[in-house]
Amino acid sequence: MGNSKHLGLILLAPAGVFVILFFLAPVVLTAIFGFTNMSTATGISGGAYVVNESTMRALGERFGERELAGRLLRKSYVIDEAGLQAARESGAEQATIEELREKYLGRNFESRRQIERLLKKLDNRPASIRAIKKIAASFERSVVNIRFDSPEELVAAIEGYGIVLSDAQRQALADVSYTGWVFTTQNFKTMMELPDTWRTMANTLFYVFSTLILFNTGFALVLAILTHYMPEGPAGFFRSVWLLPRITPPVLYVLMWKWLAWDNGFLSRMLEPLGIAPRNWLLDTPANAWTFVILINGFVGASMGMLIFSSAIKAIPQPLFHASEVDGASRWQQIRHIILPQLRWPILFITSYQTLSLLTSFEYILLATDGGPGGATEVWALAAYKKALSNYGGALQYGYGAAMSLVLVVIGVVLSLIYLRLFNFKALTESPKIEQ
Amino acid sequence: MSENYRKWPMVLFLGVLTTPLILMYVYLFVDTVTNTPPGAILPNEFTLEHWRFLHENLPGRPSIWLATWNTFMFATVTTLIVLAVSSAAGYSLSRLQLPARSFFLGGILVLHAFPTVTLLIAIFLILQMLGLYNTLIGVILVKISLELPFGIWIMKGFYDTVPWEIEMAGIQDGATRFQVWRILVLPQVKPAILALGIISFLAGWSEFILPLVLAPGNDVQVLSVYLAALIADDNNFDMNLFKSVGLFYVLPVIVLFVFFQNKLMNIYSGGTKG
Amino acid sequence: MLHFRRTLTALAATSMLAAGSSAVAEEVTISVWANQGATENYRIDAIKIAADLLEREYEARGETLKINVEGKVFTSWSEFKQAVTLAGEAGTAPNIVVSSHGDIAPWAQAGIIVPAEDYVDLDAWPLNDIYPNLLEIATYEGQVWGIPQDAESRPFFFWNDYMKAIGYTDEDLAELADRVRAGEYTLQNVLEDAKKMQDAGLVEPGKGFWPRPTKGGDFWQFYMSYGGEFATDDGRLLFDREAMKGAYQFFVDAVNLGVTRKNHLGTPWDQWHGALTSGQVGIWHGGTWQYSEWTKKYGLDFFKNVTFTLIPSGGNERGRANTLTHPLVYLITKQDSEKEMSIAGELITIASEPRINALHAIKSAHLGITRSEEKVSLYANDRWTREATEVLLPYATAAPNNPNFGQYFEVMMNGLQAAWTGQKTVEQAVADAEKELKAALGDEIVFR
Repeated sequence: MGNSKHLGLILLAPAGVFVILFFLAPVVLTAIFGFTNMSTATGISGGAYVVNESTMRALGERFGERELAGRLLRKSYVIDEAGLQAARESGAEQATIEELREKYLGRNFESRRQIERLLKKLDNRPASIRAIKKIAASFERSVVNIRFDSPEELVAAIEGYGIVLSDAQRQALADVSYTGWVFTTQNFKTMMELPDTWRTMANTLFYVFSTLILFNTGFALVLAILTHYMPEGPAGFFRSVWLLPRITPPVLYVLMWKWLAWDNGFLSRMLEPLGIAPRNWLLDTPANAWTFVILINGFVGASMGMLIFSSAIKAIPQPLFHASEVDGASRWQQIRHIILPQLRWPILFITSYQTLSLLTSFEYILLATDGGPGGATEVWALAAYKKALSNYGGALQYGYGAAMSLVLVVIGVVLSLIYLRLFNFKALTESPKIEQ
Repeated sequence: MSENYRKWPMVLFLGVLTTPLILMYVYLFVDTVTNTPPGAILPNEFTLEHWRFLHENLPGRPSIWLATWNTFMFATVTTLIVLAVSSAAGYSLSRLQLPARSFFLGGILVLHAFPTVTLLIAIFLILQMLGLYNTLIGVILVKISLELPFGIWIMKGFYDTVPWEIEMAGIQDGATRFQVWRILVLPQVKPAILALGIISFLAGWSEFILPLVLAPGNDVQVLSVYLAALIADDNNFDMNLFKSVGLFYVLPVIVLFVFFQNKLMNIYSGGTKG
Repeated sequence: MLHFRRTLTALAATSMLAAGSSAVAEEVTISVWANQGATENYRIDAIKIAADLLEREYEARGETLKINVEGKVFTSWSEFKQAVTLAGEAGTAPNIVVSSHGDIAPWAQAGIIVPAEDYVDLDAWPLNDIYPNLLEIATYEGQVWGIPQDAESRPFFFWNDYMKAIGYTDEDLAELADRVRAGEYTLQNVLEDAKKMQDAGLVEPGKGFWPRPTKGGDFWQFYMSYGGEFATDDGRLLFDREAMKGAYQFFVDAVNLGVTRKNHLGTPWDQWHGALTSGQVGIWHGGTWQYSEWTKKYGLDFFKNVTFTLIPSGGNERGRANTLTHPLVYLITKQDSEKEMSIAGELITIASEPRINALHAIKSAHLGITRSEEKVSLYANDRWTREATEVLLPYATAAPNNPNFGQYFEVMMNGLQAAWTGQKTVEQAVADAEKELKAALGDEIVFR
């Protein structure tokens, strides 16, 4: 540990492992996923090769191989020596196999059900349902509905049943029978074409900038300045109260807003005597939903600006204030000429920092409106989450969701780089003084 | 200062703006021990029935104590590791010779506002490969990663304020840089460690989306997921019960807040100055 | 990891051999996940009962088997499906999943579930007694993938007193179900009657007609009311523009007429149940299973106050009265352990026995799955299940088992919501839905 250069890297290494595992690797994977059609049905880890009605329909339609498709779909079951051998390997009792050979060798069947029924009638009937199923499957002479891990295995199995395939047919078969995901640029094309994409983008911009301007900087500024002009007691009280939303767990915090806003909620009950019919204030109209989404996020966001601005105001030398008072400056003049100029950099910092936080946050919206009513408050991050991971029908579209996330990653990184320039990043990174 | 100005209009104005917030928190307490008739604003009876979840499992939900234990473990382990990793990395970035320093620093700032939560599918896949899907440890690792950029940046900021003379003196006495860090510098940033610890604990205690997606099992359920599932249940709608569970959930947070308020205010404002 | 597991298994096997066969009681843990409401605990409990019986069967045969059933309850479909899908991908899926039949296709393609027919005997009682149409609904690509757990349907409900107040007689109400079925009483009549009730001051504005308060399969019924169908004969999804427009337009008309609120979707369930069981709503549509809640939790005297029918026809030429059934099925997931999968199969079989299934059917007001269930007195004595089975089930359709249906569902629902809340015009919503589906599904969906 003598060399401080090594020590630096060693101390940084644990953080590096976390960053690589949970930032860099996910970005790389997301970038890959964004160019696939990955979904619930295709799975994430790869698919299998299956001959079934829909893949064979595709074989017929896309490659004109209707005859082959028909042949592959034909099921047949034969009790022969090979099948008996397979049955033995699957764990069937010797006596059962003997009896089968004796009574039924060479018989053909069209469905597995027929063999199962016959097995159940044997004197040496297999003990469990599962054993019957396995023995019956040993006599199958088709590949329908069987999952093969590779196209070679599928082709080998098919050829094992005496169907010879041309190279083109093999290729076509491998193509249509694959159940897993494939690479595609369709996600981005779809994204460009869909009107909802642009609506979601517009929503996102509206959400980010209105919350930012109204609360994260605007209201934060009001709080900081007002508490500056207050005695320490009330000032401390208000700062504490406005910090509560930030530290309250989101699930509970949003629940409290719901209690305030919905049909039987506090707001409705308060307004009822005034002749205003109870309604779900949270979801009544898009305007209402937006109001609440901005309030909910803004109340959380205001605290950070409030604290930073407050400490910046505290850093202003007191004599400046006294002098201006002696000069008879109004409070407004004080704010304009003394406070605000001092807050230029903190405001810029909060604005840029919180743009990024708002852009990528969706937890509060998910819990409050879930993007409603009718998608009015659906923002980009929420849409990406829902596409990839959460929807009622259970059709998760990992690929499309990843493509959407990727857009957010690119925007986030570009904005961060711009901000780094803006804040004169070099100044933050002066070299250590102990070496040299 | 500002003695010439009247203060009460300010207090009144802000008081009005703050009323909804105060109401929400007051009713959070009140509703857990009372019943309110439909349509009324004030409660009319005292009851403890909404707290029944403490001694009996609600239908279909695991024990609240298990969820509390999980949440506690989640928050505590997250905090400890975030503290250890950030104080090491922060020191390295602040004081030690490092190749590509500005790259690392810039990287941390970029990661700070990274849309990690939207990368959940990829994160899921990585946890699965590590065999950590549906484990508390898996979610903890992800949560730590999310908290690290902030933690490192804060710690770096505080190390920056430690006078160089302390270290110089240590080195002259023959200590290694590692010893200097451990014995001389770390005690100097104790307030930062305390504050970062509280913030990480609160962040871990509140986390919702990560455990929801990455650890759905009953035995690893945390309070946020417990409460969200309770609220989502179409058939058992009971606002006062939700609030009671919510209050139970938020109590430790409020206690921490009351005791460490000033520390928190310091770090939220001070640490991010840079 | 896998190697490690194999070594462990091998070790375990050797140690068991060493210990001799007598002393070791075999222990298996079967995990079951279900999304269930308060009255639906038998989705998981039936498996627990089955486990108890199965243990006794083993014991009777002189074998020892200890089965631990670990249940996990979800309360939101999207979270439930997310969890099952991800756990399946991670290879840690629960042994048995109780889910919608609509999940069969994607989960089968992804290899998360195995065909139930490979693990149960469909030729033997009680499974050979399951209504054939229900088994058909659990079939995908010619294989039976799941065992139906319950059936239901989603009818229209009318508040008797208000219907009478706007001119219907008791006889009219008694005939209403038949008139709906014949296509004489249409969705347009629903809107008219709801309006009349509001105009007469019987119900508040916006409470004449209340649909289900959240997203759900129910809304496909309106698509069918206007003649829409789910799939073509060769198994591709079908998007019927006219029917889709009809369905969307119906809700827009309802809003314009003032009988349904624009922001209805998102209404909390308690409020929905509370309003309609206390006579605040004139006409609504819901699920047969909600009967249990209405009568038990909200104390509704159902047969005195309510008349129920199929979903009326849209009144256009192709329109027809209909209802949707959306059975849940027991699914067996793919596991490394062949033993666990066969035990899961045995448990599901036992759980389908009439007496056990009747517990679920009656407690949660679902419809039974086997014919012999009608002979179980608990079931036979229940007026609701009897009448609902008679009036609704013969006309019930189900959504197709198609891997892409979930996506179609999502897009259809989003479009409906956009039109309903006035975010888009009906034409625009239908056109956008079509665009999105065409882009996402290509040849897999046909537009007509």
